[in-house]
Amino acid sequence: MIRLVLVLALALPLVAALPAQAQFNFNLNRAIESVKNLGRATAEIDEKQEVEIGRDMAARLLGAAPLVNDAKLQRYVNQVGRWLASQTERPDLPWQFGVLDSPGLNAFAVPGGTIFVTKGLVQRMRSEAELAGVLAHEIAHVVKKHHLKAIQKSAQASLAGDALSMLNSKSAEARDKLIGFGTEMYARGLDKDDELEADRLGVVIAARGGYDAYGLPAVLQTLQGMNPQDSSLALMFKTHPAPGDRLDALAEKMQPTLDAHAGQPQLAERFRSFLGSK
Amino acid sequence: MKSLLALLLVLLFLPLIAWGEPATLIRPTELKKDPATDAPTVAELAENTVVDATERRAGWTRVKAAAGEGWVKMLALRYGANAKQGESGLSQLFNVARTGSSGTQVTTGVRGLEAEQITNAQPNAAELKKMQGYAATPAAAAGFASQARLRPVAVEEPK
Repeated sequence: MIRLVLVLALALPLVAALPAQAQFNFNLNRAIESVKNLGRATAEIDEKQEVEIGRDMAARLLGAAPLVNDAKLQRYVNQVGRWLASQTERPDLPWQFGVLDSPGLNAFAVPGGTIFVTKGLVQRMRSEAELAGVLAHEIAHVVKKHHLKAIQKSAQASLAGDALSMLNSKSAEARDKLIGFGTEMYARGLDKDDELEADRLGVVIAARGGYDAYGLPAVLQTLQGMNPQDSSLALMFKTHPAPGDRLDALAEKMQPTLDAHAGQPQLAERFRSFLGSK
Repeated sequence: MKSLLALLLVLLFLPLIAWGEPATLIRPTELKKDPATDAPTVAELAENTVVDATERRAGWTRVKAAAGEGWVKMLALRYGANAKQGESGLSQLFNVARTGSSGTQVTTGVRGLEAEQITNAQPNAAELKKMQGYAATPAAAAGFASQARLRPVAVEEPK
């Protein structure tokens, strides 16, 4: 106690004499810390943690819309999706696929390998190749870690600290906040470039799976032909580039790949046999 | 009586089934006799030509144009009201004047999953568990693919 008083007595005049210096040091340390966090933001969430965040985010999305109560359809979509995921650079994630019971037209990719597609979108498809195209676009988001990177950026931007420490935090509040950044992503959308990259890689993944590569462009053309005021498209159009622009981008960059794999199976009949089950 | 009603219904919807969707060419395009680049050219179609589009085969769509019937590259087509990126109410009005319809599909009026629903959602652990139960193993998925003669193809991601 006496020692502490002594230290304080010695230190206080120093601090008082150099207030500007002290403040400067403090700010500098904070700045260094932020830069360090920024540097960490893209690398440090490992696969196990990615899967863990994904599980929480998937549970939230399922809270917004439950699964279609049709086991045959759900298993079908899982078999098509898992086959496609096996053709990627991340074949060993715990991939799972679900059809959400929503009339809206949309699909979602969750970090760690969970993919959702709405019933409304599935009902507009005409073949398994079209389903494969949409699933492959979402799989591409996971392979490229688009959402994970966006969540990390979001955690940085809000000055909430780095995503990793929030994830490891014992406080439920910090964790919730991080998952909140994640779900917000589905309401706000990714960068346009991420979407266009997922379109290109989606075409590649579907073609690798042996499907007609035009499945994804065909779905985009269906969307493009719909009335843009249609409320079932509201969220999809809010969070994605216009389908016409996406088709233009595919035509510009992917025509050779598309044409090289255009003759592969579409499997319209198999698709109908599973879709018609309920 | 019942069969008569059915027949009436079929007749009523026949035009819808037989007709394609109105679509517009976004660039000058060759109308081909068959869905292949080396097929004979039926006609040269100008940009903005309005056609009736029916079936798709790989990268080709069958169309009916004033100049004849045949196939055009699928990605040269944009459908309906917003054919030329014009997604404003005005272009839709124009479309009504041009084709007599407000687009290829009417507004369904259903509300899909909304942004607020997602941001306000509470986790549903029971559904997550159900979903995990539907997951397929890589081996099962490969078996299902080979049933349909799907074979893996080496495709590079373009840079």
